[in-house]
Order: sequence, then structure tokens, then C-alpha cells
Amino acid sequence: MKKFNGFLMMVLIVFLVAAPIIAQGANETTNKEIVLDFWHHYSAESAENKTLTEVLIPEFEKENPGIKVNAVSHEWAELHDKVLISASSSSLPDVARCDIAWLPEFEKMGILVPLDSEMNDFEEVSKGLLDSAMSTAIINDHYYGLALNTNSKILFYNTKMLKDAGVEVPNTMEEWEKTVKKLSGKNVKGQQVWGWNEPGLSAWNICPFIWSFGGALTNPEQTKASGYINSPETVKAVNTFASLYKEGALTGFNSGDIPMTDGFGTGRYAMMLEGPWKIAELAGAYPNVKYQTAPIPAGEGGSISVLGGEDIAMFNNANKDAAWKFMKFMTSDFAEVEMSKCGQIPVNKKALENPVVVEASFAPYLEAIKTAKARPTVASASKIDNELVVAMHEILDGEKTAQKAMDDLAVKVDALLAK
Amino acid sequence: MQIKNNSSKFQLGALMAPGLLIFALFTIYPIFRLLIASFHDWTLASMVKQPFVGWNNYKTVFSDKTFWISFENSIVYALVTVPGQMFLGLLVAILIDGIRKISVGFRVLNYLPVITSWVIVSLIFKYIFNTEGLLNYFLFNILHITSKNVRWLDFRWSGLWVAMFLGIWKGVGWNMVVFLAALQQVPKVLYEAAELDGCKSIRKFFAITLPSIKGSVLFAWVMLTIGAFNVYTSIKLITNGAPAHKTETLLTWMYYKAFSTGEFGYSAALSFIMALTLCFLAIIQFKIMKKKDE
Repeated sequence: MKKFNGFLMMVLIVFLVAAPIIAQGANETTNKEIVLDFWHHYSAESAENKTLTEVLIPEFEKENPGIKVNAVSHEWAELHDKVLISASSSSLPDVARCDIAWLPEFEKMGILVPLDSEMNDFEEVSKGLLDSAMSTAIINDHYYGLALNTNSKILFYNTKMLKDAGVEVPNTMEEWEKTVKKLSGKNVKGQQVWGWNEPGLSAWNICPFIWSFGGALTNPEQTKASGYINSPETVKAVNTFASLYKEGALTGFNSGDIPMTDGFGTGRYAMMLEGPWKIAELAGAYPNVKYQTAPIPAGEGGSISVLGGEDIAMFNNANKDAAWKFMKFMTSDFAEVEMSKCGQIPVNKKALENPVVVEASFAPYLEAIKTAKARPTVASASKIDNELVVAMHEILDGEKTAQKAMDDLAVKVDALLAK
Repeated sequence: MQIKNNSSKFQLGALMAPGLLIFALFTIYPIFRLLIASFHDWTLASMVKQPFVGWNNYKTVFSDKTFWISFENSIVYALVTVPGQMFLGLLVAILIDGIRKISVGFRVLNYLPVITSWVIVSLIFKYIFNTEGLLNYFLFNILHITSKNVRWLDFRWSGLWVAMFLGIWKGVGWNMVVFLAALQQVPKVLYEAAELDGCKSIRKFFAITLPSIKGSVLFAWVMLTIGAFNVYTSIKLITNGAPAHKTETLLTWMYYKAFSTGEFGYSAALSFIMALTLCFLAIIQFKIMKKKDE
């Protein structure tokens, strides 16, 4: 009896081990079909993912028989880490939708394909996409991705608070400074109110001011910061920001401050600079606040906001022809308009003229994205960001003057850019 | 319990084996592996093969300004919360030891903070000490003691004080339990003998009580010190290391370095520096207590 049981046990074990291996084999597609692995971070329950899986991918597969797209949704931060990890274990996908901030880091690891060198019709394709958005994909004079969607920040202002204070929405940085001061103080309930909210001190927050005042973080080649990050214009921008903070006219980046949406929605912050997602947030959380949007006020450098967004990139182990076809499809007029219906701002020039896009909820952003600038596309961007935050704190806490802090910062950023 | 014969020995071994195996696999091996990792350059980009870099990670840690800030914060946190908790815990234990009625009720009330969730109480403290939080509401709007809202959480030391205050509040009950048990072990005859000799209460405390509960004091001291260096949740939720990493403690900085910047080698080195510091402190604590014996 014991021997029989032992034999049965062995058969069971062999079967259990063999079954998944056999099943794996059955799942493999036929030789002729190409499977493209596409990693993205549209959240699984989102309208974007629904559009991707129910409209775009079927359409692409219809137009390209023989190519199947295997799209995998990840959470934003996890996708970044997963790409890095997969790179060293050689299990990268063919194509991925990447935050524009990640491209320089990926390029430095040598895992991205320089599209302008390897794809014959690159010129033609990129001409159909916004120049400002495409600038996020240029690293060391080569293009490592196609712009897929973009976003920026524009001025949100509480119409009632401005009316009560008797001020107009500012068009220039000089007007902005005065308006912010006038809107600060105490409201009728005796609560403190601020003319401006800035939720952080990193490049995403400070760059619109630096650029609009005519300053810069680095030279155009992104090799040097001295002379740019501590130029008179940059220092003037940072100083204006700091003096407004010291007068109690702006806040938002301290641990104990009222969060941005809550503050704006309850009339404690009069103005702020935010992205298109804020419209949906305010509609959901504070539907009663009356506000309008406007472009960021213009300074010596113009009205320049900061670019965010995502690019679509190809990894160097990819099935290049199939991947390129998919990338061209995702940045085509059709796909971009479909995605715009979910709130994704297109970068395709033809799509931007489509009535659906022109009348979308993000229409106020369409002007801003034409002139908005990208943050430095260098691998050390996040380290530069950290140093900028530290420098801003030194200025705001009164430890250093703006000029000294930016001079010291220039030395640090020069070292980071040299790596 | 005598081990009679080989078969018993084998049984003993077989029974202990699973537990030992789990311990070895999930505790010993990771520590060993981490030690090895601390000598390699391990980042998100080098997950498969890590180049050997010797003492580099340790050098990086020691030359990092923020590490020293977090180390300083951890030491201050330990220096404030450990004596604070022990002193208040002992005080409460003595008070409760002296009453007969409702002592259970008082014990429960004092112990409640210990069993609350760190996350919940950290968030509550954050809401209390926020610039527009409950405390400022009382001070500014109701009592009019301050001229404007005090920004408790926006600065290094005031932010740390909020976390330390939380740490003390939360730990008093545990100390009370430990000391209460120790106090109840002190033989009553000693007190009676002292009374006959005309001893006053204070003298009784220092001459009889303290020496008798010394074992518990040392135990609490070592445990609380290790716990103080391990503070994470309260700092993370109350200040999150802000402003600009000035309220980081060793553990929050380690977590940030490992999971926000992907520098695992650095974090591994940091964890061993922290472990060695704690070993060193424990040895000193034991030595001090031993000295008091003589």
C-alpha cells in the first residue's frame, strides 16, 4: 500500500511541475505574428486605458495585421523603477510611455533607440508634432522619443477675491507682484489669505518665474549653469519670489501650510499656477469656487510656463519596425484626438486644429504649450532639482542672499552637469 | 530536563529545525546578504550584477551632510524621549502603586496610547500642530495668547519637538507597566524596616525603590533607546523630513535613499552604521548600570 501511495505521489508531482510548462508552450503565438510589449502608466480603471484597449489597439491591429500589442498598465513610480530593473536583466519591453523627466536617465543607460538616426521617416513624423513638446526628447543632439501628450501650468484666479480687492488679473510680472500683495492679508472672517500659492520649490515650481523674468537654468547646450542660474534675471525672479514670501503674500510649500486645492477652493489662496488636472479636481471637491484661467504673466523673457507630459520611446531590444509603426500610430492625428477626449492634451499639430480638441476643457492650455519650456533634459536633473530646493530654502529662511545662494548653486550644478 | 538518549536528541532537533530554519532564512540570511550588499554598488540600474566597491558606500555615508543631520536628529530624539518616557512612566507607576481603588482604570487609561496606531496618532498630532490646526486655534483664536498662527511644523526643531512629544506620550504607558511590575516585586519588609529606622519617603525611594528595580530600568533603557533610533512613522507623517531634509532621522533617511532614489548600497551601509551605533550604546548602557551595582 505504501509503495503504491509513493508512486501516485510521484505522478502527481511530475504532473504539477509539467503542467505549467506545457501551458506556457500553448500560449506562444504562431511564428508569423509579432507581439509588441507596450508598458504605460494610464491607470487601469481610467478612461485613457479604456480608449487604449478598446479603440486604439484594435484599430492599430486592424491596420497592421500580423502585429499584436500587449499593453501592460503600471503605476507611475513603479514603471520608472521597473524599466531600470528590467534594463539590467534584459527584459525590457519594445515601447513604453515615459514621463519626459525619465528620458535622460534612460538614455544615459544606453537602452533607448536614437530615432532620428535609425528611422528613415523620422523628420517627416516629428514635423507633424509640436516643437516645444518634441524638445523634451532631445538628449545630446539626438531624439530618443516622440512626444505623446503634453501639459503645462496656467494661472488660476479666484474672480470674487480679485473683484473684492479691486484688482484686474495681472498680465505682466510687475502687475503680478503688485496684485499678489494686494490680495494678501485678512479676509472678512479674520483668516489670513495669500495672493499666491506655490506648493513646492523645485524646478517645476520655480522655472516659470525664472524663464518669464528672462533668466535660465543652464546654457542652451545644457553643459554649464554659471552665468545662467546666477544671472541678474534669474536672481531677480528668485528675489521677487522670496520677498513676497517674507511679506506673507505667498506660501504653500511648508509642512504646515493649507494644501493647494483646499486653499484655493476655500478662498484662502487667491491665485496659483496649475495643470489641467486641477479643473477636474476643483469640479469634484469645490464646485462652488468661482475662478477663471489666464496665461502666466509676461516678464522680460515673455510668458513662459513649464512643460510636463509624456513621450513614447523605443528600447534597443525592440522589434524596431513594428515598434516604430506603433509609435507613429499613437502620435497620429486619429489616436491623439481620441485620447484628447479623455483629457490628454495632444502634440500632433493636425489634432490640435480638430474642433473636438479646440473646444475641450483644456483649451486654455493650448496657447501655453506652444511657448512653454522643458526642464533640463540631463540625467542629473533630479539631483539638480534637489539642490535648487535647498538653495530656495536658504534664501527664503534668510540664510543667504539670493545672489549668494544662486552663485553657490551654480557651482554645484556645474559639477552635476559635468558628469 | 535531561536529554535521555539519542532518539530524544533527534526529536528535539527535529522539532526545533523548522523554527531555526525560518529564523535562519528570514532573519540571519538577509542580514548577512545586506552586509555583503553594503560593499557593492547596488542601485536600481545594477539589480543583476553589482560591482564590488569596498568601503565606498560607507565613505559616501560619512561624507553626506544630510546623514549627519539625520544622525543628530536621531540622537536628540533619543536623548529627549527616552528619559522623558522613563521618568513619566516611573512617576505614574509609583502613583498607581500607591492607590487601591480604580487602579485598574488608571492603568488602562495610561496604557491606551501604547496600543493606538502610530499612523492615526501621527496624523492627529499633525492636525493639532498644523499652522491652522487645533493648538493654534486655541492659542490664537480663543485665548489670544499668540499674535498669529505659530508654524510648529515648518521648522527643524519645532517639528522634531512635535514628534518627540508624540513619542513620549505614546510610550509612557509601556514604561508604567514595566515599572509597576518591578515595583510590586520589591519586598514590603524593606520599606517597613526603613520606616522603623525613621526613613522619610524620598530617602526610601532613592535607597530602596530605585536599586530594587534596577533590572527593569536597564531593560527599559536599552529597549527605548533602540526604539527611539527606529522612529519612522511619526516623522514621516508629521514632517516627512521637511524642510529640505532637516527633520530626517536615520530610518526615514535610509528609506528615502533606498526607495525614492534607489541607492540600496548606501542604505545598506547606513543600516550597519546604525546597528553598530546601537550595539555600542547598549554596551555603554550595560556598563553604566553595572557600575551602579558597586
